Amino acid sequence: MLLQMKGITKRYGSLTANSGVDFSLEAGEVHALVGENGAGKSTLMRILYGEEQPSEGRIYMNGTEQSFSSPSDAIAAGIGMVHQHFMLFPSFTVAENIVIGREPKAGVTFDRKAAAEQVKALSEKYGMPVDPWAKVAECPVGVQQRIEILKVLNQGAKIVIMDEPTGALTPLEVEWLLKAIKRLSEQGISFILISHKLHEVLDSSERITVLRDGRVTGTVRAKDTDALQLSSLMVGRELVKLEKKHMVPGQPILDVQQVTVRGGKGAKPLLDQVSFQVRAGEIVGVAGVSGNGQSELLQAVTGLRRIDVGKVALSGQDVTGRSPFQFREAGLAHIPEDRYMWGSAKEESVTDNGLMGHLRSFSKGGILRKSQIRQTMADWVRSFNIKTGSLDTKAGHLSGGNMQKLIVAREMAHGTPFVIAAEPTRGVDIGAMETIHEALLKRREEQGAILLVSSELTEILKLSDRILVLFEGRIAGELTAEEATEEQISILMAGGEQR
Amino acid sequence: MRRLNWSTYAQALLMPLAAILLGLLVGAIAIWTVGGSVLTTYQEMWKGAFGSFYFTTSTLTRAVPIIFAALGVSLAFRAGFFNLGAEGQMIFGALAAALAALYVPGPGVVKMLAAIVAGMLAGGLWSTLAGWLDTKFRMNLLITTLLLNYIASLFAGYLVAFPLKEKGGSGGAQTAMLDKSVWMPKLFDGMTLHAGFIVAIVIAVLLALFLRYTTKGYEIRMLGSNPLFAAYGGVNRGRLMLMSMMMSGALAGLAGTFEVLGTQYRYIDNMLSTPGYAWSGIMATLLAGSNPIGSVAAAILLAALQTGGMGVERNTEVPLEISSVIQSSLILFVSARITFSFIKRKKARAADGHSA
Amino acid sequence: MDTLLDWSLLSSTLRTVAPLLLAALGGALCARVGIFNVALEGMMLTGAFTAILGNYLFGNVLLAILFACVCVGVLALLFGYLSIQLQANAIVVGTAMNFLATGLTAFSLFAIFGVKGQYYDQTMKGLPKWDIPLIKDIPVVGDVLSGHTPLVYLAFVLAAGLQYLMFRTVMGFRLMAVGENITAAKSLGIRVRRYQYGAVLASGILCALAGAQLSLGQVTLFAENMTAGRGFIALVATMLGQSSPLGVTASSLLFGFMDAISIRLQGFSLPTHFTMMLPYVITIVVMLFFKDKSYLRQSGRMDSK
Repeated sequence: MLLQMKGITKRYGSLTANSGVDFSLEAGEVHALVGENGAGKSTLMRILYGEEQPSEGRIYMNGTEQSFSSPSDAIAAGIGMVHQHFMLFPSFTVAENIVIGREPKAGVTFDRKAAAEQVKALSEKYGMPVDPWAKVAECPVGVQQRIEILKVLNQGAKIVIMDEPTGALTPLEVEWLLKAIKRLSEQGISFILISHKLHEVLDSSERITVLRDGRVTGTVRAKDTDALQLSSLMVGRELVKLEKKHMVPGQPILDVQQVTVRGGKGAKPLLDQVSFQVRAGEIVGVAGVSGNGQSELLQAVTGLRRIDVGKVALSGQDVTGRSPFQFREAGLAHIPEDRYMWGSAKEESVTDNGLMGHLRSFSKGGILRKSQIRQTMADWVRSFNIKTGSLDTKAGHLSGGNMQKLIVAREMAHGTPFVIAAEPTRGVDIGAMETIHEALLKRREEQGAILLVSSELTEILKLSDRILVLFEGRIAGELTAEEATEEQISILMAGGEQR
Repeated sequence: MRRLNWSTYAQALLMPLAAILLGLLVGAIAIWTVGGSVLTTYQEMWKGAFGSFYFTTSTLTRAVPIIFAALGVSLAFRAGFFNLGAEGQMIFGALAAALAALYVPGPGVVKMLAAIVAGMLAGGLWSTLAGWLDTKFRMNLLITTLLLNYIASLFAGYLVAFPLKEKGGSGGAQTAMLDKSVWMPKLFDGMTLHAGFIVAIVIAVLLALFLRYTTKGYEIRMLGSNPLFAAYGGVNRGRLMLMSMMMSGALAGLAGTFEVLGTQYRYIDNMLSTPGYAWSGIMATLLAGSNPIGSVAAAILLAALQTGGMGVERNTEVPLEISSVIQSSLILFVSARITFSFIKRKKARAADGHSA
Repeated sequence: MDTLLDWSLLSSTLRTVAPLLLAALGGALCARVGIFNVALEGMMLTGAFTAILGNYLFGNVLLAILFACVCVGVLALLFGYLSIQLQANAIVVGTAMNFLATGLTAFSLFAIFGVKGQYYDQTMKGLPKWDIPLIKDIPVVGDVLSGHTPLVYLAFVLAAGLQYLMFRTVMGFRLMAVGENITAAKSLGIRVRRYQYGAVLASGILCALAGAQLSLGQVTLFAENMTAGRGFIALVATMLGQSSPLGVTASSLLFGFMDAISIRLQGFSLPTHFTMMLPYVITIVVMLFFKDKSYLRQSGRMDSK
């Protein structure tokens, strides 16, 4: 056995991220690690790569015990990691990015020519073509990933950890990558793939280990299992279709017409002539591999980004080119995709975080109505079961799930006709997820129009009345809740044709 | 829930107190190295600052411009803008106030009000210029405010050395003396403390209330805490930046105004740069973590160290610069612990390689 | 002093540019590892004072410069400790360091020399002026290039050396990697902190040299606050030169030239205020045209957008 991790436990304070995890890897094997967000996949791999120290447990390579106190130790032992967010230097050349850390030298000088030749030889050996002299910033994402893999191989890695390797790739690039992984594994390189895309995992790996809540719920051979079994191991329960009241959609609330957002010079548009409506009393889900225009769409329909072409109307009011403030005035509430970047101010109190975006209803003549505010906040804390020390606790001290509940409470409280819910349950526990889903469905019953953007297909399928699939900035297809299946959406997400 | 507040207040107080102790410790070492008696020196320092009613009021007089500058800087810091231009804003405020008091016709009260308005406007506009350069051309505010200080100081210096120079005066670069009717009333007979001190305290309280209880104050705090969150919530960064820079500069302008109306009764070249009021104001702000009421306390503390230093120099062998050593080590200790929320915002850059 | 422009203007440019260039190179090194060093001013001032002090103590300019380098090096390490180790905001710490330098030098001036304002000793020897053989005999060129202090020449040699270090050596490559993407550099096992400390320490030494050129090269005295904002101008030169040593040399030359011109203009009995203002105005105008690099914009602002 090339690698064995035994009884790995990792605690952060009261939180246990990994609990008694066993994991093994053979030479030339592709072993996938799957699980939902927050299941502990990344923590386990950070431990293997020396970025975190386990609270308990041991790591063996070829039978000898290892201890990695830093990534350098792991690299020296032949473990390489391709992070989800690439660790590249955009203004450096491809060759520079690959050889960094073990640069060819002539005296003290960095022999860039030798580096380029070395990279060329490496890329030929492993059949991964790159241009050594190109600037990384100018390489497409697929090539950037290739650079990352070559860098790891150049470090002498025998084990390559890849964190969500296909998240930002186009279908062609995904196909290429999976083939490359196969080829490399035949050359003796072992892979650990962290993923939550079951189909890819089933296609490309030999064994699959499933994590849930920090524990291993099963290690299975890919050829002996299927997506259904894996997903039940992942979520620990059968997927139930939520009872949704039948609603007849009313007036269009959000009307997006031919919206285009241009990319950088020479690049493809980020959003390409996107048109759709969200009507009162319906939830429209937007699915897609992340990076296919979801963020741009969210920013375009909230006023956070100027659109180059097209029109956006909210509650019958043309809000094209208006500021976020005017969008909110026209009746927008917005659960943002990144709760810390956009959705909160960590250093400020729970109360202050609860006011944002709705100052008008909390103030009179420019003065904040403190007692009314405290009353309302206390109500939210109660009804959404937000665990907080007090209303004056810094928002940064709340757990992710409680922070998210606070944001949802804030955005649902004002009964706006239109709600954007972007990744509303990312990284929250099941309980919080149910609370949030109930809140969204309740708003739907109150004739609210909801645009749901999520990378969790199960969530989209569970809540949406209609589903739009974004692919490369375009709407690749539209499905009704009745006809949509996970498979069909996946095909559209990958740029395939609607059947 | 109320009780929890007290412990946070206590914690907020603990850090400055520890810093003060450490500052005094460093000061003690400095005194010891020059062969002075630490105890005597600190006694003299206390006497120089608060030893008598006269010294106490002098300390408070010195604190007035520092308080105003600190309040201005606090406001900008709260909004997330590193306004280091208090000196220039103060200088133009002082000059404009002097000119208004000299040349606006009418009774003393009218002149006085005109001077105050002119001082606020001049400081505010000079500060807004830096804000405008930032919003319009994305020019680094920290650098522009610094550069504008030099420009303001030299320009004001030119004006009082040539076109506006006192006719037939002693020859120094200064404007004519203001009419007695526009002098700020003194609070106590024979003491230097003037009504500007009351105004400073009132404004500090108003500013604290403004930040805490108004929607604009709320927006300013959120903008400083997380600008993306503010943008998401519909806060207009450009407009709010100009507004907070205007207010910040106007407060610095008031520092200059009250120095002219309450202490010097004219604009004299370098009257504000030499005592370093603006930098003391910035120090006070850092010391108080941009809290307006705390800034008042910190400003008085710094003023006390400065007047105390003069006392030390009068009565011991230790030079008055001992107070700048204490002040700067104090601020260094505080800054080591300061983790304004804006420090760790480089996450976005790490993801650069990811999204092409 | 008949004409506004003549060759001696270039000679005085070289003289005034040296401290600026030395400090700006220090700023560039720091910027390249992701630290915005506002403390250049204070470090330069400390350098100027300790150079005089060293000269007074040892009676030898070489030892004086070494002494200055050690003293400012300690100060730089303090700056590094606070901003790298304790993760305090480099701008706040830098500002505090500037206060500390002003206070300490003024205090020590009195404590050691017993004077206020400035210290001047007629018998004290400043830096020698080097006549470069051969070059000094060439008309015009000799007048411009020859007869400067060793530190002036050293400044340009260091600029060339740093250019080589950054863009040709492995060490420079890794240094730039730290500034470009610190997380990535860390994940590769590059000892990020070592590079950051190294850069901060080097900037301290460069500022010490800059200060020594001010107090022992151009004149032989120390005056309170004698750097008069040169450290901040050096900071701007760093940004203008995009933190590359050659670029920084070019921008420092521009500022030095403006400085020399404004001194020249004083000879024409124009009010000196405007001539002294010129470098600052030009800096602002120049900033308008040269957008600073993103990492400096990041660190100079308190927000990210």
